[in-house]
Amino acid sequence: MERKVYILGGAQTDFERNWTKEGKNMIALLKEAVEDGFKDAGFTYDELVSLNNENRVAAFVGNFIAEQYISQGHLGAFLTEVNPAFYGVPSARYEAACASSSVALDAAITKIEAGEYDVCIVVGWEIMKSVDSKKGGDILGRAAYYEKEGKGVDLPFPKLFGRLADATIEKYGLDQERYLNALAKISCINYANAKRNPLAQTRKWFMSYEEASHRGTESNPNVGGLLGVSDCSQVTDGAAIVILCSEKYLKEKGLQEKAYVKGYGHRTAPLLFDKKIADNANSEYVLPWTRQACLDAYKRAGLTVDDIDVFETHDCFSSSEFAAISAFGICEPGKECEAIEKGLIAFDGDKPINPSGGLIGCGHPVGASGARMFVDLYKQVTGKAGKYQVKGAKNGLMLNIGGSATTNYVFIIGRE
Amino acid sequence: MIIKTVTVVGANGTMGANVSAIFASFGSATVYMVSRDKEKSKMAAVRAGKSVKADSITNHLIAADYTMLADCVKASDLVFESAAENLELKIELHTKIGQSLKKGAVACTGSSGLSITRLAECYPEEVRCQFFGVHMFNPPYQLTLCELTASPYSDTAMYGELKEYLTNTLFRTVAESKDLPAFLGNRIGFYVMNEALQYADRYQDNGGVDYIDSLLGPFTGRTMPPITTADFVGLDVHKAIVDNIYENTNDYVHEKFVLPKYVQKLIDQRKLGRKTGEGLYKLIKNESGDKRMMVYDIKLGIYRDIINYTFPFALQMKQFLRDGDYDDAIRVLINNNSQEADICLRFLLRYIVYALYTAEHVGYDLRVADDVMATGFTWCPPFAMMEAFSRVCDLGALMKERLRPEIATAVDIDHIIGEQIKSKYDYRIYFKAK
Repeated sequence: MERKVYILGGAQTDFERNWTKEGKNMIALLKEAVEDGFKDAGFTYDELVSLNNENRVAAFVGNFIAEQYISQGHLGAFLTEVNPAFYGVPSARYEAACASSSVALDAAITKIEAGEYDVCIVVGWEIMKSVDSKKGGDILGRAAYYEKEGKGVDLPFPKLFGRLADATIEKYGLDQERYLNALAKISCINYANAKRNPLAQTRKWFMSYEEASHRGTESNPNVGGLLGVSDCSQVTDGAAIVILCSEKYLKEKGLQEKAYVKGYGHRTAPLLFDKKIADNANSEYVLPWTRQACLDAYKRAGLTVDDIDVFETHDCFSSSEFAAISAFGICEPGKECEAIEKGLIAFDGDKPINPSGGLIGCGHPVGASGARMFVDLYKQVTGKAGKYQVKGAKNGLMLNIGGSATTNYVFIIGRE
Repeated sequence: MIIKTVTVVGANGTMGANVSAIFASFGSATVYMVSRDKEKSKMAAVRAGKSVKADSITNHLIAADYTMLADCVKASDLVFESAAENLELKIELHTKIGQSLKKGAVACTGSSGLSITRLAECYPEEVRCQFFGVHMFNPPYQLTLCELTASPYSDTAMYGELKEYLTNTLFRTVAESKDLPAFLGNRIGFYVMNEALQYADRYQDNGGVDYIDSLLGPFTGRTMPPITTADFVGLDVHKAIVDNIYENTNDYVHEKFVLPKYVQKLIDQRKLGRKTGEGLYKLIKNESGDKRMMVYDIKLGIYRDIINYTFPFALQMKQFLRDGDYDDAIRVLINNNSQEADICLRFLLRYIVYALYTAEHVGYDLRVADDVMATGFTWCPPFAMMEAFSRVCDLGALMKERLRPEIATAVDIDHIIGEQIKSKYDYRIYFKAK
């Protein structure tokens, strides 16, 4: 990438929190995220005002579907309610289902690369606990082709990713039990990792391999084909914020070199799940466009999988993390079970995935997840991840997907 | 410390079943669940699985009764007694456990406040050093607090290993406490709750119970108002705890542990709170399933409909909290001159002072005050609350101005809030807009 885009700082809210239960609204959520993010970045409202006077700053809001969850649209304008310092700051909302905040990040990165702005503030958020799980499941169905795949279906997404499990087994001729046990290991790793993350939703929860590998019980019922509750990410409320800046700004402020964006990939696969699977017939990969987004990011960064020390992936279901392992290039497609069994993706493995706990362990407030992964990679490559720090991480890669792996976003960030 | 086999004595109680689940889940241990009746133990095992949302752990829970106690204890690396809070009963049980306890195994009581030293003395000399107080809060899957207490006989190395096991294997928030009545969390929490009950008595003409609860609601940094909490805990349990503290301690809030007469009256009538269907509150369901919450009117001696109080200060605070304006909410509390805002503010200030005072006298580290209140009560812990106040005012000056002189004489305010400790808890989570 020609002009470097640096990461000034970032933060996420505590994903254990239920803002509806606390009686608080989206403004409270945004205020806390912005306050914490600014603090981490050493950025202030005064600075925002002075940059804005010169039209050097903009804001990008990622959110999937607040229209349904809290009956609110025009979300880009709401930062003005957070603080008057946002008056006049260009801002808009970006949407691509669960990859919404990645689109916002992409737009922000592009604006800095183009030399349009020197500081870009990206906030991803979602309030989901405002509705019950049945209604919530139906709302999320709008990330698929609602009329054909969501409408009138109970919990459409677990079913779609259950079909991804079926398609994976079929494509590679996998032993079903071995595959499901590998998925159970993925869940356990994510839950165990979340225990080290003080902002993870499930940090107090219990999960064991025995529980995760016994699906169809009362405490771990099947929710979508072969998948059990233990294979699912968690619905929650939350926000994550990233503050990006240009090299010019960094120099002006006399700041030390920060982590920067090394590459990205963005590919959109066929929307309908059936078409998506039919489309992979000529590929070794079950999700070829997910793989392509990774290849694009590696190419732009001039890096290979060997250079990546830590991954954050979109484990909305264990079956999507499974497919991501070969898409990252950690193993050959179809050989994911071996990679998992050998401990490659564990916290202390060679290619740790989701030290944060991921969507299964840390939680999945859909519009926030891309920005949350980005913040986690930034923490990892700058040595700020505390108890879940992967030792010596220099480069990190994230995959954020929207819908049934329809929108695929990959970012690689790292330091010199 | 390797704990593979555990015996839980009194496993059919709510706490016994829930603690068994903690050992079997996070601890991956095989747990003998001992109660008077093996069938009851079996039923408790099912409840245990539900309490940690994992039926698979029931494969590791073994129902047992007291005839099997000696064998269970002999086979165990850790024995946890969770019987009723009755000293004689516990002495009898620990004497029995002591006869079979393996050399090197841990024995502990889940007592919420009886003397650990006295119970240690039930054990033969050679294993007396293996006994500890391990007080968990209910429900332990949600409340991670665990108060760890040694007796003078306790083995120091084993104490350290047990602390490590509780922290890193069972994921407990361990608060080290001296062997003093009610330990830390309950001493602080029940001080606030009992004082709220006393205030309800004093302000019975204003409405009493619901009046006080309304001005100490979730917007003051907790999930549940304090009198509702007492009702939830059970008035008999509340009485046992405050009586124990009143009889066996003597600090500057001694009289605040006196149980009000109207509460005793309800206990005498077996109106023990939520568990008996009525206590300080009473929930009535009519045939169509509609619920109607009633409250005990101290003045009238009857249950009446709850009054939906609308105190301007509380409304304003909630509105600010709803928008995430915490500083403004605290400013309202400080600057509103109504009687209700004054009562509320002074409650919070006294809570901070007593929490830190208790941590200093009953704990080994002031920070423990935060751990016990956050993870045992889900109240905004004192240091986090100090941070919320200190953002908008000089807290020391506010305390000196608003607290009665007797507190300032008994406690050195400058000393008690002088330690600049950054809380690891976020005050924003605790102040709800409700």
